[in-house]
Formats: sequence, C-alpha cells, structure tokens
Amino acid sequence: MSNPFSYIFSCLFVLIAHAGMLVNVFFNGKEVDTKEFVILCAAVLGLDIIYYFVMLFYKQHTYTVDFMLLLVLNMSVIFQSCFGGVHLSMKHYITCIVSLIASRVGYHLVRDHRWIQSKKKYVWVCIGIMMGVIVLFTGSRSMWIDLGFMTIQPSEFIKPLLVIACATSITEQQNKHKFLQFNIVWENIILFGITAAVCLLQWWCRDLGSIPTFAAIYAAGFLLRICYPKAKFSNKTLIGAGAAVLIAAGIGIYLAPDYVRARLFVNIWDDTTGNGYQQSQALIAIAEGGWLGKGPSNGFLHEVFAYESDIVFATICEEWGLVIALMTVVVILLIAASPLINPPLSYFHGTLCAGVCAAFTVQMALNIFGSCNLIPFTGVTIPFISMGGSSMATSGIMAGMLTAAQNPVFAKMKSAKPKKQKKVTGGQPA
Amino acid sequence: MKSIRRTQSVITLFLLVFIGGMALLVYKINKEAPFYMMHSDNHQLGKVYDRNGDVLFDAAGTGYDENHFLDVGNLIGDDKGQMENTLVAQNIDKLNNYSFSEGLVKEGGKAAIYTTLDHAANRAVYNAYMGAKGCTVAYNYKTGELLVCTSLPSIDVTKGYANIGELESGTLISKAMYGTVPGSTQKVSTVISALEIMGPDRLFSKTYNCSGQYMNRSGKPIDCHQSYGHGDQNIQQAVENSCNPFFAQLVEDPDLPLGRLKDMYRKLGYAVNDDKPQYIDIDGIQCEKASTTLTDSYDFNTQWGCIGQGDTLVSPMQLMMWQSAIANGTGKMTMPHLIDHVTDVYGNTTETAKTKESAQLFTPDTAETVKRILLTNGSNHYTGSISGYVLGIKSGTAQVKEGAEENALLVGFVSDERNPIAFCVVLENKYSTPVYAEQIVKTLLDSLCS
Repeated sequence: MSNPFSYIFSCLFVLIAHAGMLVNVFFNGKEVDTKEFVILCAAVLGLDIIYYFVMLFYKQHTYTVDFMLLLVLNMSVIFQSCFGGVHLSMKHYITCIVSLIASRVGYHLVRDHRWIQSKKKYVWVCIGIMMGVIVLFTGSRSMWIDLGFMTIQPSEFIKPLLVIACATSITEQQNKHKFLQFNIVWENIILFGITAAVCLLQWWCRDLGSIPTFAAIYAAGFLLRICYPKAKFSNKTLIGAGAAVLIAAGIGIYLAPDYVRARLFVNIWDDTTGNGYQQSQALIAIAEGGWLGKGPSNGFLHEVFAYESDIVFATICEEWGLVIALMTVVVILLIAASPLINPPLSYFHGTLCAGVCAAFTVQMALNIFGSCNLIPFTGVTIPFISMGGSSMATSGIMAGMLTAAQNPVFAKMKSAKPKKQKKVTGGQPA
Repeated sequence: MKSIRRTQSVITLFLLVFIGGMALLVYKINKEAPFYMMHSDNHQLGKVYDRNGDVLFDAAGTGYDENHFLDVGNLIGDDKGQMENTLVAQNIDKLNNYSFSEGLVKEGGKAAIYTTLDHAANRAVYNAYMGAKGCTVAYNYKTGELLVCTSLPSIDVTKGYANIGELESGTLISKAMYGTVPGSTQKVSTVISALEIMGPDRLFSKTYNCSGQYMNRSGKPIDCHQSYGHGDQNIQQAVENSCNPFFAQLVEDPDLPLGRLKDMYRKLGYAVNDDKPQYIDIDGIQCEKASTTLTDSYDFNTQWGCIGQGDTLVSPMQLMMWQSAIANGTGKMTMPHLIDHVTDVYGNTTETAKTKESAQLFTPDTAETVKRILLTNGSNHYTGSISGYVLGIKSGTAQVKEGAEENALLVGFVSDERNPIAFCVVLENKYSTPVYAEQIVKTLLDSLCS
C-alpha cells in the first residue's frame, strides 16, 4: 500500500456515502421500524468495515475497483432493502457478500496471465459444461435451475468464461495456418464457434436479452484481435463482419417468436395493461420520482413484477430520484472505466478489461434503456444492482478481473525461458 | 504501450456509446415526464376557464351550481375517457400540474387552459333551445375566437357516466363538429361557385322560372317549398326565396360546367365523390369538413346536393367559417380557435393563440357580392325576428331521416366592426318544438353583443 492516507480517505468516503443514504432512509422512509433500521445499518456499515480489513490482506497497487465495488454493492443493499418497506433484504445482502467473494475469485483466476493462458482449454471445457447444464436442466423450459433454497441461472456464468476465452486467444492471432487459399487462425474459428453456439443456445432458451451481451464481449475481443500488432485484418474484413452482424440481426428479428416481435414493435402507451405494462409503469414511476425521488420505501413500483431486477433503475428513480440513480450508474461506469485510470499492464489484461466493460455497459444499456422504452425491453439485470444471485456472482467475478488487470503478476514471466516467450506475447507488459 | 491504448480505446468506445445513450435518456425523461405523469393515477389536473374567468372544467367537480357544466359538457369534456373529441381529452397534458423538477403539485398548481368561450352566452343559448335538440356555434370572424359552441342534448360531466346506456344519441358529441344535412344554407356555396365560374355580370343576367316544380333534364322533379312557384327570378331573388328549381336550372346551365363546379367545391373544402374526408383541427378537436356527390349536371342527386339535400353533409362549424370569408370580404376563412392561452404549473404562459387565415377560397369580389346578397336577404326578411342587428343571413331546411324530420338552419354574420360575429344555428326536428331558429340567433346575439 503506497499511500495509507488515500486508503483511509477512500474508506471514509464509502462509509460516509452509505451513512448519508441511511440517514435519508431514517428521515424520509415510510413508517421506518427502528429495529429494522438498526439491522440495516449494522449490516451495511458492518460489511464496509469488515471488507476494509479483508482488503488489507491483499497487497495491491490500487484498490479503486474494490472501493467502488463495495460502494455500489452496499448502495444496492440499501435500495433493495427499502422497496416496499424498510427491512434488510437478506437475500440480496447475501448475494452481495457472494459478489465480493466472487471478485476475489476472479482476481486470483486471471491475475497470472501465464497460468490462465495455459488453462484456456479448461475454460472452453467449462463453457461446454455450462452449455450442457443449460441443455439438460433449463433449456426452453426455464432460464433457472431451482435448487429449492435458491435458483441458479447457468447462462450468467458463461459471461466471465467468454471474456477469459476471448482474452486468452489473443496470442494465437500470430499463429496463422494455410488452409486451401486462406490464412486461418484456428482459435478464431473456435472462439467464433463458441460464441455462435452460446447465442443459438440462448435463442433456444428464449433468453434473447443475454445475446447482445455475449455478442458485445465477443465483439470487444474481435476488435482487439484485429488490432493486434502482427495481425493483418483488412478493412474489407471489418466491413464484412459488420455486414454479417446486421444480416444476422435482421434474420434474428425475422425469425423471432411472436411474443418477442410484439415486444420489439409495441407502443407501450397503447398497451399499458399488456406488453407495455412494465415499461409504462416504470416511466410513470420515474416521472413521479422526479430529480429527488419520493423517498425510500414511498414508491408504488414494488408492486410491479421484476421491480427489483428488470426495472430496478425505475424503482430507484422513483424512491431516490433520478440524480441518485444516475450516480449509481456512474459508480458502475467508474468500475468499468477503471482501466482508463489505472492502465492494465498487458495486452491480455487489456483485452480482459474491454470484455468486462462490454459486458457491463451492454447489460446496463439493455436494462435501463429497455425499461425506459428507448430500446425493446429485455429481461436482463444491471450488474451489482439488480437482485439475482447468479448475476451478482458473475458480475463480482468480472469486477475481480478488472482488479487483477490493474494488479497483475509478472514474476513468473521474468524468470521464464526465452523460447517460451512466443506463447505469451499477448501477456507481456506493454 | 500503444497496444494498451488500443484496449483503452475499445473501453472508451463502449463507455461513450453508453453515456450518449444515458444523455439521450435523461433528455427524453425530462421532456416526456409530464406525458408519463398523465398516465399516473396520481396526476393532478388544472382547470379550464372561459374568457371571463368562469370555470368550464374542474376535475374535482365540487362546489358548483347544479348543471354548471351542462352546456359545455360535450365540448370541453373531461378526463374520464368517454369523450375523446373534446378540449380536455385532446389537451389533457396542458392541464398537468406537474414538472419533472418540481414533481407533482397537489395544491396551488397553476396549470390551466383559458378558452375564448363566453360561458354566460353559451348557457343563454343552451337555455333558449328549451329542451329541443341542435347546436349553435358562433365566433369572432376577425380574430377566430370561438365564443359560443353548445350542442344539445349534453351531459353534466360531474355526474359521471353511470347511465351512459340511457343517454340520448348525440349526447357525447359536440354536433357543431360533425357533418349534417345543410339544407338551403348549401346554396351559399353554390352561389360562390357560380360567381367564381361565371362572374357576377353573367350570373346576375340569368333568370330561371319556378312554377313550383321543375322537371329536370333527366326527367326527375325538383320541388319548390312554394308549391305555386316563384315565377321568373334572378340570383338575388332566388337566394331570398331559397328557390330549388332556380338552383337546379343553374346547375344544368352550360355556363356552369360540372368539372369547374367540382373544382370550386373542392377549393371550398368539400370532399367530392370519393375524395378522402377532411378535417379541421381546432386545438386538437377534429371537426369534419364537407362532403357531397357531383356526378352529372342533369342528375337529380347532383342537383339535389347543390341545393343542400341528399348526400351533402357539412358541419355547422364549416358553414360558420365560410361566413367569415364572406363577412371579412377577403375570400379567406378565419380559422377558429378555442384556446386563448395556456399556463403551466407555475402560472407562466406557455402558449398564446394567434389569428390564422385559410388559403384563398374565392376572390374578394365574390366575397363582396355574396355579402351584399346575404345582407339584402337579412334586411328584407330578418329585421323583425332578429331586430337590432345588420345581418347577412341564409336559412335552410334540411330533410333528415328520409324526409321524416326537418331541421332548421340559419347561417350568417353581423356586419358590425364592434361585434364581428359569424354564426350557425341548427334546430333539429323544427316542427316538434315551439322554438324558432331566429329566436336562438336573437338570444345568441343579445348575449354576445350586450
């Protein structure tokens, strides 16, 4: 830790931010039960303080992502605990703790680029296993596996795996093979095949909302592959790829099931009790909230289906106001933008960060813009804010990847033999 | 380091696209929030006032005299969704006591619509019908301010719609906005067309004989209301006598070719034959224009349409607007408006009405000639029944329900710079009521000009 004052200041900043929100809950909340409020305060501030000490065990160059993560997670705990009345949302609180733990897992998983790149075939296998789980246990029946005490959405776990798969395949860009008249990079084809298979599987599962996220992760990796120093991708290839995406999207819309097409083209104000119900209620709630909100637990949107997940942005706007909702989005953006402040030190980690940023921004865009009728409505979550264990865990893993990218391990590389360097070019410090 | 910058560029690209989308979203929410709010159960509506500050609509609806809103019920409407073509339904967003920064203002919000209507005059005209059905519309033909617009039967919106199934036909619409058989008031349009096509000298030189019935060139009889006939007449006499055989012969005259007649009717705003129906927008309220069937100069239905019966339909509003083009002497209609100004939740004026004119329908010379004809008709026939006013006027009797009933119509204008009022009065089933259309006009003018 190079600057203990900075660490303490960050601790205080997060603590004061949460305390300020809790004060707002106490004074502006609806029929606040003191006991419930004290439990909420203890849970939020307690988690803050405990995590400060946990972080001290990790000797990192920077803790930016960790503080931002803690800030946004406990903000979401406060938000979720006020929907419909002030009481700690235990389920969401636990998933936030899971998310924090997952961030540590993600951190350890990719911190050493040499190790993870050597295990990339296992990453593919993991993706295959998750797809198998989807085929066997969810499929077109449901998107979740119900374990009784909790539900799991296996497709969520493919997101961080795909990010890693994209990043670990970067170095292969140099290994082209002559096949017929073409220079082929086999791993590119494998990666495209994996992405296409995942997207088709999601189509079959009727989880169309997640397809843009997978496509964005792949697109970020694709863009960085064609930018890779020794790669020779022509503009024709780029235009061709863009055209292929547009054609695929057009075919997708054409082949989409009726209920999806109805959602794509619905005028929500003509169908406020049918396909436009959630969006119209969300927009009304945002309007009622205004800039400063109606006060925690004073909204009505908690009576609408998926208020805590798919339309959570509107629920926050209603109770806390558009200003606080935007600030929450800014905190998530800062997490995604942290590689701009603390640049990753290798191309592998840079690609990893781009994939995570793509996943976060696209998911937020789908959720927020969809629920506010700017684009068709899809049922995806906002990372760290929406209720949902699988989403929280995978978002935590991806946040951990960002932390790892800013605190990488290069010790092994320094001792590596020159003849092995060819395999890890993508992981070299830039 | 360049390669790392590439990864940062991709990250920046994603972030910028998202931030751009968020900026658009915030702008959209700010702009459209009042609209969203109108779909909320919690919305608070401001009031609608007449030109003297009398309330015409109040969502609370309490604290008013019995039937306070009855005479304007189907024009001003309410927010219950039963009457769509009304002022409140079409302008409900303007009454929204809400702003995104201020939130919902439950008390003291100043969002309001100030109309041009004169509620006292409107009520007086409503009462003058004495329970009969019909409608009356009047406006200032210089400024376009609608002063009176009442339609009977009407509804007191504060009493709700529990008995909606028992309401009489036409209760929930303002009849001034919908097409009705114009009767001989249609002859004004035919005179205008003939003047535009033939010119005044040739038209005034024409005389046709009326013997009480005219057998037209396709062998169909055109009856006159005066069974023993009017004898030889020129256009001035025919208008005053409202002589059907004269106008049938005028339509057959080779100097009035059907093609040009159709063109002229279209210029006046008629949907001729299969033309697409047209509407006039009056502060969001859709008002039907006119429609007729013109197929052959010798055809009974064509002649009957030019006389104002059969397929011809014209809204009373449109009949009144043509009078403005005549009264102003310009050949251009003054477009009517009902909203004078609108205030927002803070009381700031956000909209103010402006006087607008239509395109040129006919020449000022034609306007002056028709004005003279109508003023002569007024001075010769209406100084007794509608005393105290210099009136240009034309009556009409419309056969409806396949001739079972007759409606009385009066369209006209007051030739007075201080009271530039054009009007149209419709009295339905005139033989079933002791009221005369002239009495309603007299009440109307007395109320507005006093």
